[in-house]
Amino acid sequence: MLVIVPIKRSRRAGNSDEELSPAMHTDDCVAAPHPDWNRLIAAIAVRQDRDAFRKLFEYFAPRVKTYFQRSGASEAHAEELAQETMLTVWRKASLFDPNSSGASAWIFAIGRNLRIDAFRRERRGGAIQVSEIEAEFKVDEAPLPDMSLASAQSETRVRVALEQLPADQVRVVELSFFEEKAHAEIAGILGIPLGTVKSRLRLAINRLRIALGEPT
Amino acid sequence: MTLQHHPDDCTLAAFAAGTLDLGEHVAIATHLVGCSQCRGFVRAMEGVGGTVLASLPPTPMSADALLQLEARLSDTSEPQQTESMPPISDTGIPSLPKFVRQYRMGGWQWVAPRVRLRRIDLPVPSKTRVFLLRSGPGTRMLQHSHTGVEMTCVLAGAFEHEGGYFGPGDFDLGDETIDHRPIVKGREDCICLVAMRGDLRLEGLLGRLIQPFVRL
Repeated sequence: MLVIVPIKRSRRAGNSDEELSPAMHTDDCVAAPHPDWNRLIAAIAVRQDRDAFRKLFEYFAPRVKTYFQRSGASEAHAEELAQETMLTVWRKASLFDPNSSGASAWIFAIGRNLRIDAFRRERRGGAIQVSEIEAEFKVDEAPLPDMSLASAQSETRVRVALEQLPADQVRVVELSFFEEKAHAEIAGILGIPLGTVKSRLRLAINRLRIALGEPT
Repeated sequence: MTLQHHPDDCTLAAFAAGTLDLGEHVAIATHLVGCSQCRGFVRAMEGVGGTVLASLPPTPMSADALLQLEARLSDTSEPQQTESMPPISDTGIPSLPKFVRQYRMGGWQWVAPRVRLRRIDLPVPSKTRVFLLRSGPGTRMLQHSHTGVEMTCVLAGAFEHEGGYFGPGDFDLGDETIDHRPIVKGREDCICLVAMRGDLRLEGLLGRLIQPFVRL
């Protein structure tokens, strides 16, 4: 069963030392286990299970909203986009393939596409369809030779690898990939030289690649 | 066939995060069509995106958000995303991603003897210009310098410069500090997709003469 446990925020830069005490790292067993997201999405696909949808909404909508806000959307717009994301989860549940991606990765991709769509609409008017953006990411339908990469197991490995990254590297990954900050901006936010931003990013990604068992 | 030259991890991660400029996105997507290894990494990075998303601190949704959304779940009167994609033009280049073939393209423009260029019009404003470059056997590909990064994907044929030999599917990254002088290898025309940020400056006397005519 796939269980996604939030990355411990205690690893964050700027947190005090006591939060990094070993006791904080055993909270996996304390945290309430999440339901199996993959099965919830399957339940929506198979029998339009509203109860499953509610569970997904309660966990993901507030986090998706945070994602949009961090990407620069206003509170109201982020709320609206989070609604759209969840509506898409409902409508496209039958397209979800648990063998190809984990539930959270799938929801992330939906949110990402809606974010790009919103960004383009802002600049070009209403003529854009999110299906255009979906097509941009569907670069090839051919199956990958090693599907284990996308398995639930690899999702666990990614999570573990992220947990093991030093806090300063995690922060740079988040800022760079998920909050759309240019490297120079990140340098400003964190008060570190540009070169350090780049090297932290490289280190973090190398660690993730190794965790994934990927040839570099 | 194994590809020798790939985009760097940070760029692939930015692709997965959806933070690349569309022109650069096109270049990476073109490489991904032929490279299952990089596709696997991109998918894994989407997994990272999902893990980060699931670990974000929640921002409360408005009190009636779920109710509002539930009312929309069974509402089929809302416009659904339709699969009404514009027709795909046949460029005779199968390694060009499908979504790119939906874009408007100019005709082949003469640039220099045995060098032709075909502009790809991106549907949204982009900091990056994208074009196809076709160079005859033995020619030096467009000698130029530029003020930003340049991504090149080999679609057919091959070229070589100090950085190595680049065959179909290979990816080459140049920036203002690199002065490559690629030569087309083999008997075939070399066709590349180029995504270029910044201003293009053609080099040499011929370059300066034709510069005013090459409107990218």
